[in-house]
Amino acid sequence: MKRSEIEEEVLAWMSELTWATDDARFKKLALALFKYQYDHCEAYARFCQALGRTPDETHHFADIPAIPTGAFKEFDLCCFDIASRIKTFQTSGTSTDRRGNLHLDTLKLYEASLLASLRRNILDDLVGQRPRMRFLAPDADEEPNSSLTHMFETLRLAEGGPASAFDLHDGLLDLAALQEAVSAAGQGDAPILLFGTSFAFVHFLDATVDSAADDWRLPPGSRLMETGGFKGRSREVHPKMLRDDLARRFAIPETNIINQYGMTELGSQFYDSTWLDGSGPRRKLAPPWTRVRIIDPMTRQDVAPGEEGMIVIHDLANTGSIAAIQTADLGRWVPVKSGEEPGFNILGRFNGAEERGCSIATDIMLEASGRT
Amino acid sequence: MTDLEIKWPDDMAEQTRVAKGRIERAGEALRAMPLEERLRLVCMVLEDWTKADSSWRRELTVAYSEASPFHEETVREGLDAALRAWRPDALHECARRELSPILDSAFLALAPFEWTAVLAGGDLPMTTLHSGVLPLVLGSPVLMREASGDQITAKLLKRSLETRSQVLAAAFESISFSTEDVAFEELLTAPCVVATGSDQTIRSISDRLAPHQRFVAYGHQFSIGLLGSQFVLGQDSLRELTNDFALDIVRWDQTGCLSPVVIYLVGLDPTESSAFANSLTQSLNLYHEKSPRGALPTATQANLANEVAEARMRQSNGTSMLFEGIDSVVTLESDATNRPAPLHRFIRLMPVATLTALRECLGPFAGRLSSVAVSGFAPDEDEELQELLARLGVSRITKPGHLQTPPIDWPHDGMPVFSPMTRFIQSD
Repeated sequence: MKRSEIEEEVLAWMSELTWATDDARFKKLALALFKYQYDHCEAYARFCQALGRTPDETHHFADIPAIPTGAFKEFDLCCFDIASRIKTFQTSGTSTDRRGNLHLDTLKLYEASLLASLRRNILDDLVGQRPRMRFLAPDADEEPNSSLTHMFETLRLAEGGPASAFDLHDGLLDLAALQEAVSAAGQGDAPILLFGTSFAFVHFLDATVDSAADDWRLPPGSRLMETGGFKGRSREVHPKMLRDDLARRFAIPETNIINQYGMTELGSQFYDSTWLDGSGPRRKLAPPWTRVRIIDPMTRQDVAPGEEGMIVIHDLANTGSIAAIQTADLGRWVPVKSGEEPGFNILGRFNGAEERGCSIATDIMLEASGRT
Repeated sequence: MTDLEIKWPDDMAEQTRVAKGRIERAGEALRAMPLEERLRLVCMVLEDWTKADSSWRRELTVAYSEASPFHEETVREGLDAALRAWRPDALHECARRELSPILDSAFLALAPFEWTAVLAGGDLPMTTLHSGVLPLVLGSPVLMREASGDQITAKLLKRSLETRSQVLAAAFESISFSTEDVAFEELLTAPCVVATGSDQTIRSISDRLAPHQRFVAYGHQFSIGLLGSQFVLGQDSLRELTNDFALDIVRWDQTGCLSPVVIYLVGLDPTESSAFANSLTQSLNLYHEKSPRGALPTATQANLANEVAEARMRQSNGTSMLFEGIDSVVTLESDATNRPAPLHRFIRLMPVATLTALRECLGPFAGRLSSVAVSGFAPDEDEELQELLARLGVSRITKPGHLQTPPIDWPHDGMPVFSPMTRFIQSD
């Protein structure tokens, strides 16, 4: 299959309103994409050869070699002439850090994927109604290489109402603007949607700690999406504590707080189930054009439900880079009842997470190498 | 209605207060004992732990093997090697060296702290033994918070003190609780606090202490190897050399601050580097037969798998070489770009052209380097090497195979052994 044919099929899948797992469809596209990427990305092809895996001998998507996310910091992993890229998203970090780069020659799949997931997992009852959205993140002028900012801007343009805007400028939260937006939403009794990084919401909580109980009460139906980690950006807060604090401050149910799991190297994202399924266990739902594997790091076999393992993601939205990504996160499948959509939990990053004896060498080396 | 706050007594804090009371009382008897006598008794206890057939070491080996993830042979060999390097006479000499101004002076005297709180950190037993006995020599009783990963050594130390001196034994107690406990605050009231831990832990303790309290902090560090181009490439000598480096790597599965995380190859050509990497991999495999790597949690397995995958990616694209052993990994990198150290028998070999280039790439680690194993340098390079490492704050330079067996009088973190833990008083 040509890349354009693969993309056409993936885009068609993304446009379907009902998410349905289709193993045969996924396998066909995943294997075709593997062949394309093997043929067009030399660095990836060499990696596959070192593992003894070629497209001709690969018959299951799980056998497609997954690239560790760190490789995006060292290689331009793209399947097109770099001169034809239209966008490069960079992983976050300080100015001295080595950053990972995701080069794109098209934004079509990236945007289609993010909108399909957001519409299904957060906006299902508001699609086309252009609700008020506020983003606790810098805008595209400030962060042109941030995939998260691009996602927010794409969402704002596609679904946001006229009063939708970014409220983080030069690292400062514009509380006045945010409060005005919240008040306006309250007066109209229309739901407002807040999006932002976890550390931006922590800053918000710290900055509004003395506010009165009703100061930040959101109208019914309002919801909040938070994403990302904390390292080096603000005080760390346990996800459950963050949700509890946000639910109290905004006077919304905890199920209206939806965490997103995503990363620059992926074209698709994974959202908490709680907006769609408030009574089931909180878990991340995967779009059908992705496959999440949670594997034993040593045997590389899938672990049983409930056991922890390393998260590997196959994302058909990554047509121009590499579809199979080995993440730096540990996860676990969440046990669900029959008929419930399967989902997984993130247990945190494994890099440097472990304290070893009297040595903290990994953290020190990470610091020095700018890979924190 | 009024708000009524009920504070339930904290059991552990209460136990800590009681223990503190006990050791303060025991401190009087301890201080009544002459310094020379305390030193003699502590050296006897040390002898009990370090002699060839030490029953304490044997007991610790068994108990610690069961409680820790390490293979039993790793524990046995690690403890044997480390403790047998602690010569009691060296401790005696060290005390005389550091304290002679007091011992020999008519005007100076020791003014021991009423008690010393030792916050044991890290999971390896040697730190607990070391920091447990030194204040006793100085006349300060010890209340030790056990390291979270080692709840065995302190209790055994107490029992070994009992066999030699009831006075010493009464002046040493250990307790176990988390840093969030109220009991921890109680411990931080000590006039002298000795702690081993991460930057975050050290900073957090330091912030909670008053300026008049003595704080002796041992931070988290790591060690490295340096191999110069003068090493002999002959089959036997190369294997001997890599066996020594491998020993430093496999001891405690590379998890201590004395474990090498990188070996810098200074001025070696690619053939020499590759031969060294190959031989080191084989040496590590030999150790696997005797003392295989211990059990790894999933997070560590994932970290190792990730670093191997990244190294494989670089290797397949010609920018590094990956040597996978049975339970170890050697990567021969193409340059000295700093990379994470996943430990657990994962060693990176990094080429640098000259000592000047080495100085540059070690710069970011100033103050973080503990010990360095050095081999293969010409005698005329020694002075430059020593100056370079001294500037970086390295506290020990040794031969390969000896990184994890410092003598007992080694200046940990560059500090004297005894004097930071005591006070002096002068009478004119």
